Amino acid sequence: MTAQETGLDGEFRQQVVSTVITVLTRLLDRAEPVTEDMRLMEELGLSSTLGLELLLEVEDQLLILIDVELMDQDQMKTIGDLATFVAAHSQPG
Amino acid sequence: MTALEAVSVYLPPTRVSIESLAGPLGLTEMQVKLFRRFHGLREVGRDADASLYDLLMKAAAGLAELRGQEHRVRYVLYARTMPVIAPYPVNPLHEVCRALGLGHALAFTVAHQSCASGLLAIDMAGRLLAAEPAGPAGTGYGRAGGSGPLALILSGEKAFTREAQMFADTTVFGEGASACLVSAFGARDRLLAYASNVRGEFDSATGENDARLQREYRPSLAEVMGKALDEAGLTLDDIRVVLPHNVNLVTWQRMCLLLGFPRDRVLLDNIPTSGHVFCADVFLNYQTACERGLLEPGDRYLAAAVGAGGGATFAAMVFEH
Repeated sequence: MTAQETGLDGEFRQQVVSTVITVLTRLLDRAEPVTEDMRLMEELGLSSTLGLELLLEVEDQLLILIDVELMDQDQMKTIGDLATFVAAHSQPG
Repeated sequence: MTALEAVSVYLPPTRVSIESLAGPLGLTEMQVKLFRRFHGLREVGRDADASLYDLLMKAAAGLAELRGQEHRVRYVLYARTMPVIAPYPVNPLHEVCRALGLGHALAFTVAHQSCASGLLAIDMAGRLLAAEPAGPAGTGYGRAGGSGPLALILSGEKAFTREAQMFADTTVFGEGASACLVSAFGARDRLLAYASNVRGEFDSATGENDARLQREYRPSLAEVMGKALDEAGLTLDDIRVVLPHNVNLVTWQRMCLLLGFPRDRVLLDNIPTSGHVFCADVFLNYQTACERGLLEPGDRYLAAAVGAGGGATFAAMVFEH
């Protein structure tokens, strides 16, 4: 589903994607490129704890508060899924 | 049927903030933020002047129903998270038993299921009491309201080592203690069902299955909750309130999503102010539910806990108030 179809702010979502990629690359100390379609757990080995650390950093960098309690990890397989959720479920922090 | 006759909880009046634990525990700024922002842990109880013996005695002191009934207590079970809590030959459990006039009772510790040991102790106490021989006819021995045998379940610990103060970016332990009188045939807070699943492969000592444990944690807990409900012949819709283990907020918020259960019916009040009070969570949360008037006579409620450490145990109990 595209950002337009879900009524999301596509520009903001793209900002989330690039922030997630930047933070993840550092947190995972990864030399290879990280892309939007990558699966967080299976491909990148992201643990629950590191996932929360990622969200904290994204919140800090984008000055937002994410509705973490509404997150369903099973529906957030890829970086793109995560960015879509964050763009739809966050407020200015 | 196993029943909770009375519950008493002691929490130290002194609270320390998560930030103040950062230095002693070697927490990074990010870890402190994670605990506060997502795990909902703001502060925990610490009683620097109280020993483990003191904590347990303070909890037992609040158990008015024990006074004059000491002779009925056959078993004292100490449910705890940590395998070792005092150097040999110090034995706080036996000291507490003697001080309470319970030297005659068979006292032992239940610890192999970590933080799920509290629920195991309730089940064990009920089964041990049910196996006690019946008294002479007409004495009421072994019946509700009679002079039947009782078990005392103690829980609560000192946060005395790093391992006893926090668990791997997941929770912060708070000091406190509880005392609970259990009977085999009581009328109130009757145990309807108990389900548990011991998963030895999730041994934190090796750490090799940690990622799998994180993935399977919530589905496994949901599974035992479902089993306990099935055994009780109930569904989640019949449950008035869930008494969780106080591991952290985000785990239970996500459990609610998984279960489709309303968050305001999970008693999360104590997590921000007391943290994870070892095996005493279920008793602490029971007391809070009663104080808040959340349980009416006849209401069914579900207690759930996960013990992680030397293997993981997922456990759930259904009660009727």
